[in-house]
Amino acid sequence: MSFKNPQNTNAQTDRPQQSRLTRQQLKELEEKEKTAWQKALDWVIMVLPLLCGGAAILEYWMIPNGSPNKNPYTYVGFLAVLAGLYLLYLLFAAGKKFAGDKSVLDKLRYRAPLFSALFLLFAGYDYLTLKTGVLSQPFVPCLNYIINIAWIDRAYLFECTLHTLRLLFLGYFIGVGLGLVTGIACGYSEKVRYWINPIIKFLGPIPTSTWIPIVMVVATSLFKGAVFIIALGSWFAVTVASMTGISNVDKDFFDAARTLGASSRQLVFRVAIPHAMPSILQGCTQAMSSACVAIMIAEMMGVKAGLGWYMNWAKSWAAYDKMFAALFVICFIFTVVTKVLDLIKRRVLRWQNGVVK
Amino acid sequence: MAEKKVALEMHNVSKSFAKVENDEVTHALNEINLHARSGEFVSLVGPSGCGKSTILRLVAGLIMPTTGKVTVDGKEITEPSPERGMMFQKSTLFPWLTVEKNIAFSLKMQGKLKGNEEKVERMLRVIGLESFRNDYPGQLSGGMAQRVALMRSLINEPDILLLDEPLGALDAFTRMNMQDEILKIWQEKGQLALMVTHDVDEAVYMGTRVIVMDANPGRVVADIKVDEEYPRDRSSKAFVEYRNEILNRLHFGGQR
Repeated sequence: MSFKNPQNTNAQTDRPQQSRLTRQQLKELEEKEKTAWQKALDWVIMVLPLLCGGAAILEYWMIPNGSPNKNPYTYVGFLAVLAGLYLLYLLFAAGKKFAGDKSVLDKLRYRAPLFSALFLLFAGYDYLTLKTGVLSQPFVPCLNYIINIAWIDRAYLFECTLHTLRLLFLGYFIGVGLGLVTGIACGYSEKVRYWINPIIKFLGPIPTSTWIPIVMVVATSLFKGAVFIIALGSWFAVTVASMTGISNVDKDFFDAARTLGASSRQLVFRVAIPHAMPSILQGCTQAMSSACVAIMIAEMMGVKAGLGWYMNWAKSWAAYDKMFAALFVICFIFTVVTKVLDLIKRRVLRWQNGVVK
Repeated sequence: MAEKKVALEMHNVSKSFAKVENDEVTHALNEINLHARSGEFVSLVGPSGCGKSTILRLVAGLIMPTTGKVTVDGKEITEPSPERGMMFQKSTLFPWLTVEKNIAFSLKMQGKLKGNEEKVERMLRVIGLESFRNDYPGQLSGGMAQRVALMRSLINEPDILLLDEPLGALDAFTRMNMQDEILKIWQEKGQLALMVTHDVDEAVYMGTRVIVMDANPGRVVADIKVDEEYPRDRSSKAFVEYRNEILNRLHFGGQR
């Protein structure tokens, strides 16, 4: 009975290696080898944004303008900077790949079509505005105008941005903070819920903007009034979300924690709150979008500073390029804020990875 | 033999629950008397609704008896305590904590973690999951999760170990492995173990005593001492006899 089992000897050397595989390596190992043609296509797609950037510049430079243009190099510079940034990204990713890490390049390959589309979008917009006037000037100004004015008025735009951010975060954090307290207390304690629930039911359905006329009359300063409106909206979203989150905690977790010696305080902070975290963070995201709506309404209707006010003010002076410049800044800020929230959420909820998609 | 010797006593314990949907009341347990002491492994078998899990929850201190008394060494149980560790059918591991932190949970709650990290280490070693310490429960298989849950309650070195169908959700092989693992731990420490199970084989294989229960109202119909050496042979004549005896008591008999 002395036949050799080849698998047995192999297992000794193979197993540890297999257990040391990272997720990325595993993916590469199991992936089907791409054909040469597919690989070439991938590279074309990854270089395509640069070509599209070039196309956008050519479109801008070669086609005659339909309306007068000033400082024509700004837009070219803008496109060149974007294309340059992409080129750096591409070089970095390619370098990483040759160093053995394919993941950056894979991500770039995934995003490349969108970057191409962005450049084409710029070119198309320029064609519709500056070149043909289908979108009539100066009501829908071309990008060159918008970037120029944003640069010229940068100091004031920056000041307005700071004002908006200050108002946004002050209101948001007050609202979220209070919302967490009431939401968690409501979710956990029947008594608190008895008193708070009617308030939520009564105030909840009222849209934030309804408060603005009242606040303008009652509040001692419009800034405080705006903070109140933003905080109210965020408070509501967070309260409801954390209340549901906490009251949905599986009772078995409490039982288990109690047999493990957790005090009732610990049941709240160590079991209920972590368990409700996905729901709570969902509420925080919702609160942010409601805060963004509220701040724009507040700034456009009453507050005498900030980006919303800047837009309105620019409109009343028929400075449409300024209006669009402010719009882009607003888009940019809200995108960044949402992205940051999303990153925080992913970090806090990393235990959900692979469990919930 | 780190644990101290304890004696558990249930004296005329009844427990009723109010139904959620109407005004009726279910009588989960009726006048239960039970004595058990350290070193015993008591298996509780019976149809669903016979109140076997209720007994465990009463001993754990998660619920209070309607009438009667549950005492440990003469002291009435009024609240849950880490001295009475419990393991549930669902692993109830906290999904937001890593394996290591789940095992350390109880020590942390009691403020005893400092200086006892080595205990957590030992628990991880016992179940051979050292390399999974930073994984979250969602990434574990059912058997691994139950092992972690077992260690999570054993880290307190409980005098009484309450097992509420701990292996019910596992596949047959994992189940048999874990039966041996639990027995080994129990033999080393000599706690009092109370285990609820649906599986008569498991009850006989593991228990020094099998308590057979019936429903409506929940009551004890037989208390059978299993006088066999560990490890037990599932196909031995004595084993089969115990099994048939219990099945008869549960009205599933007829094979003689």
